[in-house]
Amino acid sequence: MPEGNKNYFDPKVLAGIANLSLRARYVVEGLMSGVHRSRAKGFSVEFEEHREYSPGDEIRRIDWKALGKFDRYFIKEYEDETNLRAYLLLDSSASMNYASDGITKFDYGCTLTASLAYLILRQQDAAGVVTFSDRIEAFIPPRAKRDYLIQILHALENRGPGGDTDVGKILDEIAGQIRRRGLVVLVSDLLDEPAEIVKGLRQFRFKGNDVIVFHVLDQAELDLPFDGNILFEDLEAADLRVIADPRSIRTTYRAVVQEFITEMRKQCLDNSIDYQLISTTTPLDQALASYLSWRG
Amino acid sequence: MSVFFLYPALLFGLLAASLPILIHLLNRRKLKRIQFPAVRFILLSQKRISRSYRLRHWILLALRTLAVVFLALLLANPIFQIGAGLFAGSGPVSLVVLLDNSLSMTWSGDGNGFKQAKDAARLLISALNDGDRAALIPTNIDGKEPFRLKGQKDVLLKELEGIEIADGTADLPVALSKAYELLVEPAGQKEIRLITDMGLTGWDQFSVAALKQVDPSIALKVIRIGRKQQPLNGTIKTIRLASQGVGVNLPTQIEATVANFGDNEIKDLLVQLSIDGQNREQKLATVPAKGETSVKFQARVSQAGAHAGQVTLKKEGLAGNAALHFTLDAQDKLKILVVDGDPQTSLVQSETFFLSRALNPAGERDSSLFLPTVIVPDGLNSATLEGYQVVMLCNVAVLSEGFATKLQNFLRQGGGVLIFGGDKFQPESYSQRLPQILPAELREKKLGPEASGEKIGKFDIDHPALQNLSEDTLQESIKSARVWGYTRAAAPGKAALISLANGDPLLIEQKVGAGKLMLFTTSADRDWNDLPVKTVYLPLVQSLAQYLAGGKRGVLDAGIPVGTAKELSLPPAYVGKSLRVTKPDKQSTEVAIRGEKDRAQATIEVNDRAGIYRLAFPTGAEKDSGTPQIYAANPPFLESRLDEISARELQAKLSPIRAEVISVDALKDGGSRTDLALPLLALLIVTLLIEGWLAQRF
Repeated sequence: MPEGNKNYFDPKVLAGIANLSLRARYVVEGLMSGVHRSRAKGFSVEFEEHREYSPGDEIRRIDWKALGKFDRYFIKEYEDETNLRAYLLLDSSASMNYASDGITKFDYGCTLTASLAYLILRQQDAAGVVTFSDRIEAFIPPRAKRDYLIQILHALENRGPGGDTDVGKILDEIAGQIRRRGLVVLVSDLLDEPAEIVKGLRQFRFKGNDVIVFHVLDQAELDLPFDGNILFEDLEAADLRVIADPRSIRTTYRAVVQEFITEMRKQCLDNSIDYQLISTTTPLDQALASYLSWRG
Repeated sequence: MSVFFLYPALLFGLLAASLPILIHLLNRRKLKRIQFPAVRFILLSQKRISRSYRLRHWILLALRTLAVVFLALLLANPIFQIGAGLFAGSGPVSLVVLLDNSLSMTWSGDGNGFKQAKDAARLLISALNDGDRAALIPTNIDGKEPFRLKGQKDVLLKELEGIEIADGTADLPVALSKAYELLVEPAGQKEIRLITDMGLTGWDQFSVAALKQVDPSIALKVIRIGRKQQPLNGTIKTIRLASQGVGVNLPTQIEATVANFGDNEIKDLLVQLSIDGQNREQKLATVPAKGETSVKFQARVSQAGAHAGQVTLKKEGLAGNAALHFTLDAQDKLKILVVDGDPQTSLVQSETFFLSRALNPAGERDSSLFLPTVIVPDGLNSATLEGYQVVMLCNVAVLSEGFATKLQNFLRQGGGVLIFGGDKFQPESYSQRLPQILPAELREKKLGPEASGEKIGKFDIDHPALQNLSEDTLQESIKSARVWGYTRAAAPGKAALISLANGDPLLIEQKVGAGKLMLFTTSADRDWNDLPVKTVYLPLVQSLAQYLAGGKRGVLDAGIPVGTAKELSLPPAYVGKSLRVTKPDKQSTEVAIRGEKDRAQATIEVNDRAGIYRLAFPTGAEKDSGTPQIYAANPPFLESRLDEISARELQAKLSPIRAEVISVDALKDGGSRTDLALPLLALLIVTLLIEGWLAQRF
């Protein structure tokens, strides 16, 4: 439990905590205090695959036979039998690297993803992470091991935002790699074609996955609070720039953004996808509550 | 209907209307850059509101620009005027009315142009309000009292009644300069109205540069007196003598040239000549369109001296000056004593045969201006020279002492002497008897064969003694003459009137007292030259006789144009005295006579009416034979031309003065004036309010 009176769900406070692991822990522990911890629902020792040793792996899990054969350290991976396999998809495109006040959408997304992973692993469910821009940047398959969080956090921390967004294409690609049903959590600003995004999300639904979309937007993206004549330069497309007087277009802009959100929400609803709009000023417990309400 | 500004210089403030646009452009350059993820939403928003956004944007820009324009206009204080410009309630006015009273106004406005002009001036004066001031200036100022702005309408109207049509051309530069001088004083509104027929003649020579005072900010309104009909338009252009001189009881040919300015032929035009108020002759003439016709009269005057003449045109509906005044100075016959130094029994061989016939070609008493009396040298001692104007000595061998003395006295009293050479002529005698008065030092005689005679090389055609030789044929004739015998004469530093091709003088002049002595170094007959059988001989002899008799008399003087000065050259005895000039309207003026070099000069400047001016010289002074007793003044010929300057040309001529041409009818229709300052202020406030409200909403 965090000490003092700090509200550790406040994104601004979280932004002051450099360590993502700590951030996730604060969020989840704070959220789960008083909540009955559910028991793990399944256990399995079914071998799944070998993977190269990485620091932090237990020495006892090294496959010595494989060492003999390949002269390299491999860890034998076993698939836990759990009721839930969660894929946490984090948009790491350049557009996520925006912060009007304090925390960037990407930092917010990372914290949210880490918190979810922590929460899922803590409940002995399997959690994996995929970061992507217009291509997959990192793919950490779901595991139900508690110490797996380190790898997930490592993947998140080593990836800064960059590249274009192509959510629809990436979702298609990830959907192709998921063999077993589970939960797909998409954390993105969804600054792409809504139809493409929904088409990608629908792929997960076809395969029987549950899908939760966290639509992360900065408050400035929602309100356009600027003044004066401004040259707006797009974070992703260098040639996309426009001069505008926000005061004169603010009302229309807000309507346009709301239309986009409404459309996304509707499309998600039509496809039985949970949709949650989150501003980077939204406390993280509210975001996690949405997951917990799904988890029951 | 027009708008003008009280302070037009402040219209430069309109340039400030570009400020909102400049600010807009500057703002565009001072852009803040922001990197933003949702640019596509901004684009979409702009696209959606693009049309209305731009419209609002332009509305705001237009409102701001309009506000500045309104402010600049407000400061320049515009006045809206309906009609030709009566003044209605926009502060005190300083008005100068320029009334064209040039002669052409007689025929403008279909015959009552001047009345229309006066009515228009009366209307303007009547429209003045309390506090307004006005001045009335005729375009032909004839030395009236100094003009000044005044507020009493009755005084102005009285002044207006007193203005009459002048006989000259409008002096626009002087009148306009006076107007601007009057308007130098500070005033709320300054106005100049020129009521005119826009006659081309007055504007032809006009130039703004000629104005002594000008203020381009004061607008000039030209009220045009037009005409509906195109009348016959002609006048007498010139009048001249068609014969040699004007002698008592001699037939005198007078030629008048009548000009037609119009596009229609003038038929059955009665042209009448009268002298001393009596009708002498009249003729019917036809003058082609845009052309001229000459009409010749023949008349005789029975008395020597000055006579007033007039040529008059009579035709109903003819526009243009119909009367041309002139003066005739008829002379008695010039008595000339001709001394034949080589008389012969045969007249033809006589020395003076050609000379006396050149002076009186018909040989009859009443057929020539000159009355020569031929004597032989023997009679010289007993001859009295009184009663002769000129003495001509032809090949006279010697001069007796007694005659030489008479001759010198004759010369000093104003007589003229012409000495011809010849085989009998003895230069020593002349040099001895007429010391220091001979025009040249006489030397030897030079005689050669006729075939190798000298041609005449130079002659001074500008000398008054040779003025009859101005025609080309006469000049050709004199050049063709040959001289094979002459007395050589040396006159260092003196130009000969006629010289031979070898440079020897042929005719030299010397002034002696009031008289003139001329030496013709060759013979008067054909013995030494062939001049007597040349065409030029007669006019040459007559011209010399005229000159030696005291200048050209018996002349017709067409006078001077009205408005110009008449210069008189008088004998020195007049210096310091004054002469009296009686104008055609019987008013008299004294003119001072001043000294200039060795003569007295008088300048008569009061020639403001057409007609005959009579001169009365002071008593007790010797009268000069060439001094006129009367002279004529006539309206300028082109003042009769009714062509108008176009409004555009007039505006170009007046530039940079802003000129507007309006018709006199528009003035009669009246008008009103409204000060637009208050409505503009209201517009400015409304514009600013709308701008503020819209700026908040957008």
